[in-house]
Amino acid sequence: MDRKMLNRSRLWLIIPILLGLLLLLSQAPVITGSSADSASPPPPGQAVSKVAPVPLTPANDANLQVFAQALDLVGHNYVDAKTTKDLVYGSIQGVVSTLDPHSSFMNPDEFKELQIETKGKFSGIGIEITLKDRVLTVVSPIEGTPAYRAGLRAGDQILKINGTSTKNLPLTEAVKMIRGPKGSKVILTINRQGFTQPKDFSIVREIIPIRSVKARILDDGIGYIRLANFQDQTDNDLKNYLKKMRQRLVPFKGLILDLRNDPGGLLEQAVQVADEFLHSGLIVYTQGRNPQQSMRFYARQGQEGERPAFPLIVLINEGSASASEIVAGALKDQKRALIVGSKSFGKGSVQTIIPLEDGSALRLTTALYYTPSGQTIQDKGIIPDIIVKEPDIPEDKTVEKLREEALDRHMRKEGITDKAWDQPLTANDLNQDPVLKQAVDLLRHWPPKNLAQQGQPPS
Amino acid sequence: MPVKNLLMPKTSKNRRSSLPRRVFWVVLALALLAAGTLPAAAAPPQSYESLRLITEALHEINQKYVWQKGEGEMMHGALRGMMNSLDPDSSFLTPKEYQEFQAGEKALPAEAGMELVFKDHLLTVVSVLDEGPAFRAGIRPGDHILKIDGQTMRNITTQEGVRRFQGKPGTVLKLQVLRNGLVKPLDLTLTLEPLGPGRITSQIFKDSYAYLRVPFFTDETPGQLADAVKKLVHRQPPLRGLILDLRNNARGTMEQAVRSASVLLGDREIVSTRGRQGDGERSYRGKERELALKPPLPLVVLIDQGTARGAEIMAGALRYHSRGQLLGAKSFGLCGITNVLPLNDGSALMMTVAHCYTPGGQKITGKGLEPDVAGQKPEGEKPPTPSSRTLPPDQDPWVLQAVELLKTGKTALSVKSSPAP
Repeated sequence: MDRKMLNRSRLWLIIPILLGLLLLLSQAPVITGSSADSASPPPPGQAVSKVAPVPLTPANDANLQVFAQALDLVGHNYVDAKTTKDLVYGSIQGVVSTLDPHSSFMNPDEFKELQIETKGKFSGIGIEITLKDRVLTVVSPIEGTPAYRAGLRAGDQILKINGTSTKNLPLTEAVKMIRGPKGSKVILTINRQGFTQPKDFSIVREIIPIRSVKARILDDGIGYIRLANFQDQTDNDLKNYLKKMRQRLVPFKGLILDLRNDPGGLLEQAVQVADEFLHSGLIVYTQGRNPQQSMRFYARQGQEGERPAFPLIVLINEGSASASEIVAGALKDQKRALIVGSKSFGKGSVQTIIPLEDGSALRLTTALYYTPSGQTIQDKGIIPDIIVKEPDIPEDKTVEKLREEALDRHMRKEGITDKAWDQPLTANDLNQDPVLKQAVDLLRHWPPKNLAQQGQPPS
Repeated sequence: MPVKNLLMPKTSKNRRSSLPRRVFWVVLALALLAAGTLPAAAAPPQSYESLRLITEALHEINQKYVWQKGEGEMMHGALRGMMNSLDPDSSFLTPKEYQEFQAGEKALPAEAGMELVFKDHLLTVVSVLDEGPAFRAGIRPGDHILKIDGQTMRNITTQEGVRRFQGKPGTVLKLQVLRNGLVKPLDLTLTLEPLGPGRITSQIFKDSYAYLRVPFFTDETPGQLADAVKKLVHRQPPLRGLILDLRNNARGTMEQAVRSASVLLGDREIVSTRGRQGDGERSYRGKERELALKPPLPLVVLIDQGTARGAEIMAGALRYHSRGQLLGAKSFGLCGITNVLPLNDGSALMMTVAHCYTPGGQKITGKGLEPDVAGQKPEGEKPPTPSSRTLPPDQDPWVLQAVELLKTGKTALSVKSSPAP
């Protein structure tokens, strides 16, 4: 982002306040000052007295009266006692569902969880857990974390957390119990194949980074980087892998950036990731009803993946959405990368998280974004330069079956990104993933002889 | 930090001054007073706080949402959301819907032959009538209707969902249906048809056990049931047991259920209802002159997840009075008294004001009835689907299980009435 961009952002924080005041002063109060005062004396230290309400139009006011009446009727007549807060949460949920499907309401718990996800770190011990056959089970300890050092392994069953049985414990509760402040201790009672009896593991919690970037290499100088989503650490991690790869692989023959099933994340991270591979020009621009939501993002010079400009292939599929589509769209429009895979999801809108005063929050669609060539992605998606279909999922397979199989593979460390980044991918790995295999073949015979086959499924 | 805009998630601390909020607070307090529905003293401070919260949310949407949204539409969305958060029978009625309600519900000539509820933000199929249009279209109980003719079913009410499946005979609806466990939604096509009378069917097995199927309740059901039972009790040789099939039956009013139960139970309590503080408590009894099942017979009642409302009332009463054991799977748990309360702008709230209880005091609403004997799972993992009910009853695994139960004499009545040998 250039300087202009930054200034503009800083302005954003100031303008709403000024605008708010202006509105307050310019529009006529609806309710007389005296009754307002009697209903609510201004709190000490706040100069409210002469200023009266405004964003509320008379229509809005009448609507609120009906709403207050409804709250009251439910409060007095509904068969079960309900707190007003629950009713209002239900109502906000209802308002939001009149909006587009990407707008939503989060209660305080959900909002907190979201903040942890986007920050890319939390305080815990560093294990992924799941319910396997209704038993709380370690999917994998994350390398370098306290859980890893303590010797927890994939497949370990967690019978107790701090002495409390995990039987019938919902997964979200278990997660909450295992997490805790940095430096504090949690005791897990573990059952493992080969243990004669369950064993206690005492583990001290630390700040655990959530990795959204995973990498592997191929023997012949090709790098593979997969982004699971776009959170605070994504661009940093990507940059580090790129640096390490280019030192290790000489000559560096090219990179495959895998954005398949990446649902997106932070806009600024999408911009930075795209910027990694571009030295100038527009990456993306947004337009909203509110002028503050309209922004343009440009590439800067001097990023890791710019020079020399190695061949780049971006993999997408119908699970690649928003931030993924911004990256794919910018790299496609600027002709920096060859896009391979299937048409992306087509989510061309930007959401802003707006915290509400009680700790809950709105996720609101505030703008639409456009690729450098002015294309909207909404419903259209990014069309790959070379279309490669993924193998079809058999119709009769249930979601659970698929998840179980993926989990089992992961626990046996058979997934493509379940091994250390510097371990080369084998021919067998590639056979598991026809789309990746196609990308590797393209890089091995770079430049592609005939890009006229665009849009044609390769034979 | 720049505006934390996101494509998925991120916080942008909202720096609006606290000034307007304070002001909203005042307006709301006045709005409450003006509405005249709340004595000022009775309004707990928490409700002001909550009102402030929705005002804040509405304001943010008004200012920042990418498209302009009408205030009226948002407010109706809010009321609908409030009612949907209560239970599947509670709904918001727009002024037009309320007028139609007051004018009396016109039975539309054709329908899909299924019962629906809006629950956990999804339009969900409770039961599918045997051989009806929905059944033939491939819809099964537990399915979620995601789209009708391409339109997503979000924040609608149970009533609205039901109305979407009524219309002129021959109307074709294209549905997108989500079935638990399947990876992709199904595309199904359904044609609305007038519904048949819903006759009770009966069958006799091996001359000793009778099977009665009540597909759904109508005003005629109690009379039909009495006729069917009278025929059965006069058979020679006498019957040794009765199987009453209430699976996949979610349509029936309390009155229809009470009068039907009366045929089997006579002058006994069938169901009671109770409001918030025990107010509105009422008990509903059968009538001795309506009793047709004389002398009593051992009885097994079949229930499943598609058993709801009237059928649950009947099953609960039969079990309590030891006339029947419940066999199958847990019932849905839909039973309550609803009231319609008008709002000042011509719209109205339909809400549950009392729950139903079995004569033993067990709550039905939201809980359902657990079977006494779990229905056996057939080979494979799938629970019995209605497709297995296209089987004649004498090949239906749960019916066979019920016959076994009657034969081994382990039903409640036979245990009770047979003195020690």
